[in-house]
Amino acid sequence: MDLSDDKVGGVTVVEVRGRIDSTTAPVLGERLTASLGGPKVRVLLDLSRIEYISSAGFRILLLAAKRADETESRLVLCGVSGRVRHLFDLGGFLDLFPIAGSRDEGISVAG
Amino acid sequence: MRKPTNIIYGVDEAPPRTVVALSALQHVGLMTVFLIYPVLIGREAGADSGVIGNLVSLSLIVLAVGTVLQALPRGPVGSGFLCQPVPTAIYLIPSLLAARIGGLPLVFGMTMFAGLLEMAFSRALRPLRPLFPPEIAGLVVALLGVATGVVAIRITLGIGADRVADSTDLIVAAVSLATMVAFNVWTRGALRLACVLIGMSAGYAVAVGLGRLGAAEWQTLAGLPWFALPRPEFGSWKFDASLVAPFAVGAVAALLKTAGNVTTSQRLNDADWVRADMGSISRGVLADGIATTLAGAVGTSGMNSASGNVGLANATGVMSRRVAYGIAALLLLFAVFPKLGAIFFIMPGAVAGASLFFAGTFIFVNGLEIMTSRLLDARKTFVIGFAFMGGLAVELLPQAFEGAPGWIKPLLVSSLVLGPISALLLNAVFRLGIRSVQKLTVDPARLDPVEIEQFMETHGAFWGARRDVIERAKFNLAQSIETIVESCEPKGPLEVEATFDEFNLNLRVSYAGPPLELPEKRPTNEEIMDSEDGQLKLAGFMLRQHADRVRATHHAGRSTILFHFDH
Repeated sequence: MDLSDDKVGGVTVVEVRGRIDSTTAPVLGERLTASLGGPKVRVLLDLSRIEYISSAGFRILLLAAKRADETESRLVLCGVSGRVRHLFDLGGFLDLFPIAGSRDEGISVAG
Repeated sequence: MRKPTNIIYGVDEAPPRTVVALSALQHVGLMTVFLIYPVLIGREAGADSGVIGNLVSLSLIVLAVGTVLQALPRGPVGSGFLCQPVPTAIYLIPSLLAARIGGLPLVFGMTMFAGLLEMAFSRALRPLRPLFPPEIAGLVVALLGVATGVVAIRITLGIGADRVADSTDLIVAAVSLATMVAFNVWTRGALRLACVLIGMSAGYAVAVGLGRLGAAEWQTLAGLPWFALPRPEFGSWKFDASLVAPFAVGAVAALLKTAGNVTTSQRLNDADWVRADMGSISRGVLADGIATTLAGAVGTSGMNSASGNVGLANATGVMSRRVAYGIAALLLLFAVFPKLGAIFFIMPGAVAGASLFFAGTFIFVNGLEIMTSRLLDARKTFVIGFAFMGGLAVELLPQAFEGAPGWIKPLLVSSLVLGPISALLLNAVFRLGIRSVQKLTVDPARLDPVEIEQFMETHGAFWGARRDVIERAKFNLAQSIETIVESCEPKGPLEVEATFDEFNLNLRVSYAGPPLELPEKRPTNEEIMDSEDGQLKLAGFMLRQHADRVRATHHAGRSTILFHFDH
């Protein structure tokens, strides 16, 4: 799994590439915890280039959303399409996160 | 069966009468293009205009009967779809030969023979199903599209006709085609439904304006009677053993084409289509064979289901079988009132070509979609690629095959013969050595998720499995192994076994260790966040949801999970 950060306006965009499984999920968790560290921060998580997400990945996303609530921050997802969207649907996660249709829309929603 | 969003009236739906009438009219317009074949055969036999007119009228009656038979929703005959016959080019060369040797009685006798043969073949289709996988069905459909497009171009350009097309014909064709496309893409409702009829009318108007439809055509129209009952030629049949081979090859080609057209109709009517329904295909081929037998019996040339009309139904979104009854009524009307039908018979070649070209594009794209719905490995790529290119070569470079030995020539008459037959043979050869059971051993200490996914990907392509099913299996395999290694502390390697047939994909994962929990209820968000146990329950829940059936067993210290996926 590869991670990259970008800052667009006041929004931190974290792009994930590759697989989010039990080996890589903790790394993503640390990055999200760090990004959501301050109060009222805006984070967009771009999942358009992930190949696989397991239950370990979903747990990290839930924890990140909880962290965002605690710090009055905002975590928005984008790039949730195709089979990844199917997995979100299957696990009952589609309604748990604000999900934008594109990166631009995500930046606007998060901002 | 779930109706796709681009279809306005599915096969079982009842559109308003005006929609049925409009749709039927444009279908008949497209069908009449092919009445040229009995005319050519009649001319070859030296028949006068009265006999040829009778051939056309009898063809219209057989077409009406064949259209209704094909659409029958119940019983042993008929695919149940709007998949009507037209006089076919498949029997043109053998029929011209028969007309030369023994006149029309020999044409009729040999046509009956071919029809009976196709009827007999229809009964043997079901057991041959493994040899006719979806990618080959897709190939046949794509070749139907190509063949329709090539016929359209030939008719438009006047290749092989009395007069070669000039710039006026090309203008007529361009206006006609552009009008059809514009009304299909940028309009809705009745205008989209009637896009072909509107395009044909625009073509007629330009043809009249540019003098392409002139005194000769109107004279033909004036010379026809208002009312005339067709005279069947019962009993005037002959048989010649030397013509058995070309007519038998024609029967096989007619079978393959009908199988392709019925497959297309099935797919167009069902958004969840995954494989051909051989029952419906078999009944459709039987109906097609009956139409040809009837054609020979009453005294006209052979019939075969029309790809162009399946494409037309797709383009307009009207697939209702009620249109078939409307078509039959119009055909019968034109059979006994020749002056009415003649408005279509004098159709300029440019208008007819544009209509067929329009319909052929839809068929071609459908074929591509059917082919690529399955994973294609190198073997299947060769089967599809070789057969497609061979078929294309026959269609586009017929002169290249003129020096072929006589015994092989019947295979080289059409892309619809060479393409499917080479695909079936290549498929049979490449099936050798494909095992339906595949195994993988996974070392928990050296877990390689990419290798695990590739295992499913590679064998899925070997089997020609559905892409969506393999994606689900890939997830279940990766997630189950990840979870077992993380939480069950397996002793020794994990054994994976994947078993496939056309209807089932079973994945068995076994290991020495405690069983994996596969809860039916999703753990709460708090459970998932609070402990790793919640995450494991989520994994088990998702594994259960993702497969069509799961079973977990534990015996003598060894656990096994079986994931079943319907295919």
